[in-house]
Amino acid sequence: MRLNLLTFFKNIKLKTFLGVAGILFLYKVFIAPVKTLPGQIFGDILVLLTVTSLVIYFIEYLSNKTLNPLSLVMNLGIINVILFCLITFSGSLFNMFFDNVTENIQNPGFMLSIVMFSYSFLVLASIAYIFLVFKELYFLKQKKNVSVYFNTMIVFIILASLTYFIKDYPEYSFIKNTFLFISILLIVINSLKISWIAFLVKKEKISLLILSVVISILFVVNLINNSSTGLHDKILMQFSPALDQFSNIIMIYGAIYFSILFFTTLFHLPTAEAFDRKAQEVSSLQYFSKLITQVLDFNDLAETITDIATKVCNAQASWIFLKEENELKTLANKNIGLLDANLINHFIDRREKSAKRIGTFIIKLNRFGEIEKLSEKYSTLAVAPLIAHKELKGYLVSANKEGYVFDDEDKSALDTFSDYASVAIENSRLLEESIEKERLEKELDVAREIQRKILPAKTPALDMLSISSVFIPAFEVGGDYYDFFEISKNKFGFIIADVSGKGISAAFVMAELKGIFESLTKTFDRPKEILVKANQILQKTLDRKTFVSAAFGLIDMKKGSLNISRAGHCPVILLRDGIVENMKPVGIGLGLNFGKTFSESLEEIEIKLKEDDLIILYTDGITEAKNSELEDFGDSLFEKTLLQFMDEEPDVIANKVITEITDFTKNNSQHDDITLVIFKWKQKIKFNGEMEWQNLTHQSKNRVK
Amino acid sequence: MAEFNTSVKEQGKISIVNLNGFLDAHTASTLENTFSSLVDNNKFNIVVNFKDLSYISSAGLGVFMAFIEKVRENGGDIKLSAMSEKVFNIFDLLGFPLLYEIFNTEGEAIKKFEEKK
Repeated sequence: MRLNLLTFFKNIKLKTFLGVAGILFLYKVFIAPVKTLPGQIFGDILVLLTVTSLVIYFIEYLSNKTLNPLSLVMNLGIINVILFCLITFSGSLFNMFFDNVTENIQNPGFMLSIVMFSYSFLVLASIAYIFLVFKELYFLKQKKNVSVYFNTMIVFIILASLTYFIKDYPEYSFIKNTFLFISILLIVINSLKISWIAFLVKKEKISLLILSVVISILFVVNLINNSSTGLHDKILMQFSPALDQFSNIIMIYGAIYFSILFFTTLFHLPTAEAFDRKAQEVSSLQYFSKLITQVLDFNDLAETITDIATKVCNAQASWIFLKEENELKTLANKNIGLLDANLINHFIDRREKSAKRIGTFIIKLNRFGEIEKLSEKYSTLAVAPLIAHKELKGYLVSANKEGYVFDDEDKSALDTFSDYASVAIENSRLLEESIEKERLEKELDVAREIQRKILPAKTPALDMLSISSVFIPAFEVGGDYYDFFEISKNKFGFIIADVSGKGISAAFVMAELKGIFESLTKTFDRPKEILVKANQILQKTLDRKTFVSAAFGLIDMKKGSLNISRAGHCPVILLRDGIVENMKPVGIGLGLNFGKTFSESLEEIEIKLKEDDLIILYTDGITEAKNSELEDFGDSLFEKTLLQFMDEEPDVIANKVITEITDFTKNNSQHDDITLVIFKWKQKIKFNGEMEWQNLTHQSKNRVK
Repeated sequence: MAEFNTSVKEQGKISIVNLNGFLDAHTASTLENTFSSLVDNNKFNIVVNFKDLSYISSAGLGVFMAFIEKVRENGGDIKLSAMSEKVFNIFDLLGFPLLYEIFNTEGEAIKKFEEKK
């Protein structure tokens, strides 16, 4: 809806212009040749209306474009050249096609009328456009509302144009002269409003200087040609005296404006460079805010920093040099080779080890021993330390080649900028760290979840064996694994293992172990056999750094015996008659050796179980649990606790051990998984009286039979 | 976090690596770097002195496993020496004495290398 309205308005402007121009055309071609004073004044007014409507239409057209003063000036130049050609060659051209133009001008034929009208209209359009450009230039970069001066000027220019016909009546010509004088006065005043040139960079100022000379000369030449009594002047006078005068005034405006422009630009030129730099500093302030948004990507940030650094201190090359654990790293090198930058980094580093300076400093490279090795002849450096949390992280280095120096302003600009850069770099690093930390935590969540699913959800309920197991995961997932296997009616297997390393990689090995032992216990039941096979399988997947300590046990319910093989794991404790026995058959950890050494050295021991025997499996998370003084919970404290509660049920013993460990470690964090599995042998139940028999489950009754 | 560092001393064709502090999953990379630079420089006769090592975790043990194969392929060895009882127990439990030569003193380990030649 709004858009339609807008195009409608646009059309109205175009329509108005076309309408007025049409009326002017009809009037000039069919009526005007008959000269009367009111007719002439009417014609003049019509001409000025056409100019006005054309200007309004042009404004509409120009408003869609961003205006660059230099291109506006260029436009003026082009229009001026066209006008120059028109005025200079009009006489000869007209004479080529029409006979006696000069005589017939008062009374032209139809064809001549149309051609003359077109010619005049072309001049009118050019003048209108020039006027419009002046208007745009006038309002460019004006902060105060100054339209009143300009509007006054327009009024007087129109009055001066409209009263031009009075020149035929010499006694009244003071009227037009007065208007003309005031107009020129206002033109001079308005021509001083050229603050926009201050915003041009030096290069643009130089081109403006040349352009303004050429254009002011063109204006003067056109003005002279326009007012000389050539054919052009005659045609224009015939068409409209007001237009003739209007174009004269515009040309006067141009000549004055561009003369003033020329001199002002000339005086601005020496300070142009300083002004440029100030402008650059201001625009680099905008860059600073850009830094803040770029902390998400460290490399992008580094690129932006060096890019801005070259601008703020007028350097030819720039790079960031980070010091990380005695390593000097070059980042985002701009306009300089990596090798050159690295050479210079070492030079700066050596120098700065002795001299601890604050703030930016300038280094001359004439004392740089390896200057010959540089592929480009750099001579001066401006070096800004990058400091975060009072710690030197590196330097922001800018370099210039021979013949260019850094002055105090460059130095202070780099100094200011490096402060921002340090903050941005530090922020980016912190962000990266927290993302990494979050990633690790997610990873550990997954690892803990895997571990939780792998470990048995509950301990099996057996007639002759009461079992208790406790597992406390460490934050980082320590890789502890235990499992129970009801191999057959009378055979019960168990495993306890600890994967080296932590986190998700340990969790994956645990998952693999579960698979291996689940399947091996389907086929084999000798602990040694099972561990040897497991080692063979693991050879294919374990990397050289990873290994698994494990102990596998098999309890034969019928025989009342326990067989154990130990592959590098903590001893299996047998607590019998108040004596702790560490069962430690020889064996190397899984994954430490895949040759004969493993299988040949691996022992399997068998013991006959006695009533109330306690078999205790654990991982080093228990004995190596540390207090705040980094002392271990240790074997002796562990054994002491076991002995103290040995008459209790496994659940109670396990509970007490954990309580003891918690008391010992207090608030110190747990570094490794803690696993504790306790079995108590209860063979006696078989020979117990009727009471127990009644209480047995249906399943176990069957087993006992 | 507890500190760990290594120092390397050259004695003829033998490199002696001194371990100091806590060797666990977080500090294992330091020892890894030490071993890689020795191997990269074709130094395969390595004696590790555990005198100043107060703790070693399974990840620390893994480092020795990572390099032993390469070292032995090149006719060298990693010999361990001067372990505290606690550290030795950890090695012993895992069966390391079957895989590595462990000596009471650094000198004995060096002597063993020299006898070989």
